[in-house]
Amino acid sequence: MTFNSISFIFLFLPVVLILYGLLKGETKKLIVLLVMSLLFYAWGNPAYLLLLLFSIAFNYLTGLEIGEWRENGCEKRAKAAMIAAVCVNLLLLGYYKYTGFLLSIFHIKVKGPDLPIGISFFTFSVLSYVFDVYQKKTKPQRNILKFAVYVSFFPKISQGPIAEYRDLEDQLTGHPVTREQISDGSRLFLIGLFKKVLIADGLGSAMASVQALPQMASATAWLGMIFYSLQLFFDFAGYSDMAIAISEMLGFKIKKNFNYPYCSESMSDFWRRWHISLGAWFRDYVYIPMGGNRCSKKRQIWNLAVVWFLTGLWHGASWNFILWGLYHGALVLLDKFVVGKAFRKLPLAVRISVTTLLAFFGWIFFFTPTLGDAASWVAQMFGSAGLGFWNQTTTYYLRQNLLLLVLGFAFSGPFLGEKFESVTIGSSRLKKGIYLGSYTFLLLLCIADMISNSYSAFLYFKF
Amino acid sequence: MKENQNRIQWILILKWGLVLLCAFVIISGAFTNRTSSTSFQDMRKQVVKAADLTNMKKADDQMIRRLYGFDPDSFDGIVLYYPKSNMNAEELLLVKLKNEDQRDQMEKTISNRVATQKKSFKGYGAKQTAMLEKSIVEVRGNYALYISAKNPEKVKAAFDAAY
Repeated sequence: MTFNSISFIFLFLPVVLILYGLLKGETKKLIVLLVMSLLFYAWGNPAYLLLLLFSIAFNYLTGLEIGEWRENGCEKRAKAAMIAAVCVNLLLLGYYKYTGFLLSIFHIKVKGPDLPIGISFFTFSVLSYVFDVYQKKTKPQRNILKFAVYVSFFPKISQGPIAEYRDLEDQLTGHPVTREQISDGSRLFLIGLFKKVLIADGLGSAMASVQALPQMASATAWLGMIFYSLQLFFDFAGYSDMAIAISEMLGFKIKKNFNYPYCSESMSDFWRRWHISLGAWFRDYVYIPMGGNRCSKKRQIWNLAVVWFLTGLWHGASWNFILWGLYHGALVLLDKFVVGKAFRKLPLAVRISVTTLLAFFGWIFFFTPTLGDAASWVAQMFGSAGLGFWNQTTTYYLRQNLLLLVLGFAFSGPFLGEKFESVTIGSSRLKKGIYLGSYTFLLLLCIADMISNSYSAFLYFKF
Repeated sequence: MKENQNRIQWILILKWGLVLLCAFVIISGAFTNRTSSTSFQDMRKQVVKAADLTNMKKADDQMIRRLYGFDPDSFDGIVLYYPKSNMNAEELLLVKLKNEDQRDQMEKTISNRVATQKKSFKGYGAKQTAMLEKSIVEVRGNYALYISAKNPEKVKAAFDAAY
């Protein structure tokens, strides 16, 4: 099940919220959350529910084991339990995600197993718990119900944000829901739905159409890159907004996952704004334990290279993703050690434009299936098709999608949202009326679009 | 202290027991579950039930030969629903293979069909092209499924559940 389906919005979510609101007592509420989360996960394909249950039970027991060894003063055994848990979790992730890719390196053509939804996200969630317990940042969770809710929590199970355990630990014990949270959550959910249904899906159709062209003029290839870059942002940011919004309606506070990444002033800044939870995970559990930046320059470069290689690999089992990770790693290193100071002296508009262009360029590795396809796309951007810089097809795609492009760029920054809030948030009746009317209109628009258009999956599901 | 040791022992037994169970399920799934014992009738019933056939019609043997180029009698079971009009891209093909040797050829044939369809809609059928882009081809064990529809995941889920 996904957030952008009619059954979720009009059936699943209201049932969860009503049950959650009606039941009194923390345990009952947690039981509702667990049952509904498992149902949500199993909805389309129940085959992988067992895998999720295994992950919950195994990592819960690992947490207890680390705690018990520590009470006995056996630090080495606690470390062995942590390492064993990391191996088991990564083996599972590796089996489902990388088998086909690894075998293809040795020219063995075997189709790997289907990728269980959300495995990359819930594996990183449980690893954060194991690391936090081992590093004494938190105590082992003795209540399996709370731990199961942390892992399977339906707003974040399939596409994150990867909420670290210590951030949610206290909330598992008490999470009162206020009217403000319901109201803010509903508003954010609508904004997320708008990003996904009205912007990302429209750009997705345009991109699919461009990708089907046998050859392109330079400008069409550039346009395709822009379509996809905006689609990916609105698709993933829309999902994250909805996930955070539903969590808020249930009394949980999850940190934001995007902060206007296409307004970044440098590549380092971009990664503080794009998929924040993944960046934080790699920083906390890979980069800092390796020594972070409190070491020699050479070591620091090595640490960053490892983190960016892993970031690329996390996104998918193909050379494209690895190269994409290394491309970003190289840009961050350049920013940090070579051109950063000079770059920061440039006017703000130039800095933002260059950073956004570099980020857009990187997404070419995302939407092309092989390195050859990526190279061919880049070549067409520079005229390899021999169709010139601009042709009628370019004009057609630009005209057809001009509104989407304008909306895409406009909502990539904070200006419009802030302006709208300043006009609508206030105690006067007029402001309240505009506020309510606008969001009702947005809801109707989204629903109409969802009914008339085909269902569209989220891009990050495949990661 | 002794109580603590007992607890650890239980935790270890449970934990590694779970790992063994999980490994067994995965390995047996990878090696023994290559073919499905589900009958073609049952599989067809589940898959067709999940599909929206509004824009499709059932193909006879001749149409199957024309669109895919293979002999329907060479399989244990085959059903094809093809677009009612040339302007539609909806399609559903379900095949139960007779033996594993047919798998590669089946994969190629379906890929060719998808490529032909994409070519037909290239340039003017943005919606159809988008639909074909997210169409699903699954050749697993003794079954093959190709679904191009508004919601192909639903049909794929029915296929997975029935497999």
